[in-house]
Amino acid sequence: MGAVKQPIPAAIGGETGAVMDSSGTAKQTSTRKILPIVEGVVLVAALLAPLLLQDYLTVFATRVIILALFALSFDLVWGYAGIMSFGQALFFGSAGYGVALLARDLDITNIFLVLPAGTLIGLTFALLLGGFLLLGRHPSSVIFVSLGTLTGSYAADRLARGWYYLGGQNGIPSIAPMSLGSYEFTEGPAFYYLVLGILVVVYLLCRFLVRSQFGLALAGLRENEQRIAFFGYKAQHLKAIIFAIGGAVAGMAGSLYAFHEGFVWPNMVGVVVSTQVVLYVLFGGSGTLIGAVIGAVIVEGVSFWLSDNYRDIWPIILGVLLLLVILFRPLGLISFVLGERERVGSFGAKPREDVKEKRNAP
Amino acid sequence: MANAFVAAFEILSFGAIIVLIVLGLGIIASMMGIFNFAQGEFVLLGAYITYLAYAKGLPIWAGMVAAPFVVGALGFVLEALIIRRFYAAPIVAMLGTYALGLIIRESVRGLIGGFYLTVPEPIGGSIDIGAMHISAWRFTIIVITLLVMAGCYLLLSRTNFGLRMRATLENPSLARASGISTPLMYGATFAFGSALAGLAGALIVPVFSLYADLGLRFLIQGFVAVMVGGVGSFIGPVAGAGVIGTLSAALPWIMAPVVADVLVFVLAIAFIKFRPQGLIAGKGV
Repeated sequence: MGAVKQPIPAAIGGETGAVMDSSGTAKQTSTRKILPIVEGVVLVAALLAPLLLQDYLTVFATRVIILALFALSFDLVWGYAGIMSFGQALFFGSAGYGVALLARDLDITNIFLVLPAGTLIGLTFALLLGGFLLLGRHPSSVIFVSLGTLTGSYAADRLARGWYYLGGQNGIPSIAPMSLGSYEFTEGPAFYYLVLGILVVVYLLCRFLVRSQFGLALAGLRENEQRIAFFGYKAQHLKAIIFAIGGAVAGMAGSLYAFHEGFVWPNMVGVVVSTQVVLYVLFGGSGTLIGAVIGAVIVEGVSFWLSDNYRDIWPIILGVLLLLVILFRPLGLISFVLGERERVGSFGAKPREDVKEKRNAP
Repeated sequence: MANAFVAAFEILSFGAIIVLIVLGLGIIASMMGIFNFAQGEFVLLGAYITYLAYAKGLPIWAGMVAAPFVVGALGFVLEALIIRRFYAAPIVAMLGTYALGLIIRESVRGLIGGFYLTVPEPIGGSIDIGAMHISAWRFTIIVITLLVMAGCYLLLSRTNFGLRMRATLENPSLARASGISTPLMYGATFAFGSALAGLAGALIVPVFSLYADLGLRFLIQGFVAVMVGGVGSFIGPVAGAGVIGTLSAALPWIMAPVVADVLVFVLAIAFIKFRPQGLIAGKGV
């Protein structure tokens, strides 16, 4: 249609500019980006939250932000690469245990040491587990990877429960607060803004990553792995890389969580937390980074709000809601405001305007 | 000598319990290609129904007989309403059945609270062989497991129903063209698998007592067993369950329980990695 119409205004001459212009603006409004608006609203709300909330709610909000960071790691792995990691808590929790041991046995609490250490622990474990599960002569089946990660997380849970050095059932209590020089990060607005800052930075890095050529290859992997392998990509290597990156993000979240709560316990590496993060991302909307953040905020927020009055039936409601989302809104709550085209988005660097014009020029 | 015999019996009886739990899981996974995360909760429901019968003053046997039928009926209804939508995507099926399991588990938790409720053994006491005593109920479980295994095998290999079931598994469109109602067969298979889970729950509740996370405890072991044995046949998962059950009961006798626990999983995952088709490859019975 467009191709047929185009020559006509060109023939009319003088009016062309005006016609083109109006159609141009019309096009712009119809494809207006909703994603940046959603991201902006969430950011502003997050920035203002400690000013409006009471102290104990700020502490709760800090925990939610850390969990959102954790959700981001799962979203990278599942939403963008299609690897079902049912054991994401393994990296979250092992980093938590790692920094707790650093603080307990070596008295290291400096933020510039513990956060990289936690991230590195998450990265290492993810490389080991991901390398084992994903790499190899034969590509692993989806079911094998999801059960392998689930089993890994379960085994870690059992190990943590039974290992005296790690505190057994009770975990490691009363971890010293994270420090920067002589300043100590204790629960409160300072910790909140620190965590929020980290979340924003990691979010932007992830955003850059999934919109790059690498992200495009991942999206192809998620949609049709065989075809991507056929194109000459090393599909298994791509998967292992994104799995390791996810593990690193989870490790960072885990070390923050350990210092914020002040203790670590076996559940943190176990199946319960692993499935919790799956819930966040499915609720919010996998395949969009902001969806993971929103999902974590909504699930944790509603559960905090309801658990006072409906503590017993809240998990049942959560299950029913999850089932409804899976059945009727597989793309999560974010798909109510976000169109399919924008969710898929574009990849790589945008072509520069002058290059485009040159190419169009005769 | 007596010690070794008791150990062997313990190992055998735990192996039998795992086989019993994996039977239903394996049938659903092999015949329908779905890893049912709610299977553990079907076990839990079977246990709960038995407890209910006991709490209401009925004989425990009545509860144990009712459990597979009630759970099977529930499975049939759930398949028709929900599971049916998931066949196209196995991963979505895992998530969907996980959500179902969450609902069932938390409902039961709401009903029984956070307690461990005990149900007495319908056949108490012990069987004495010379100086050795073995639990009569555990012995009964072994016998029933063997009977159920034989029954399932005969049902799948020798009856008309089994033939239709296998036809639906191997080539759904040809089965449909031959006049087999595949949706009905899927429903029946799922109901059958859930009924087996219900039976397993009913039989093990006197041994493990009833608590909300009863099913979760066996779920991962069950999945690993199915993968080790090989998805696609009836015998595969059973063989896998035998191996996993025996290993997880035998290893704690020779090393620290914590290490043994983890070692079983590591061994199993490594085995699946290098032999993805499992112990017994291929489709069929």
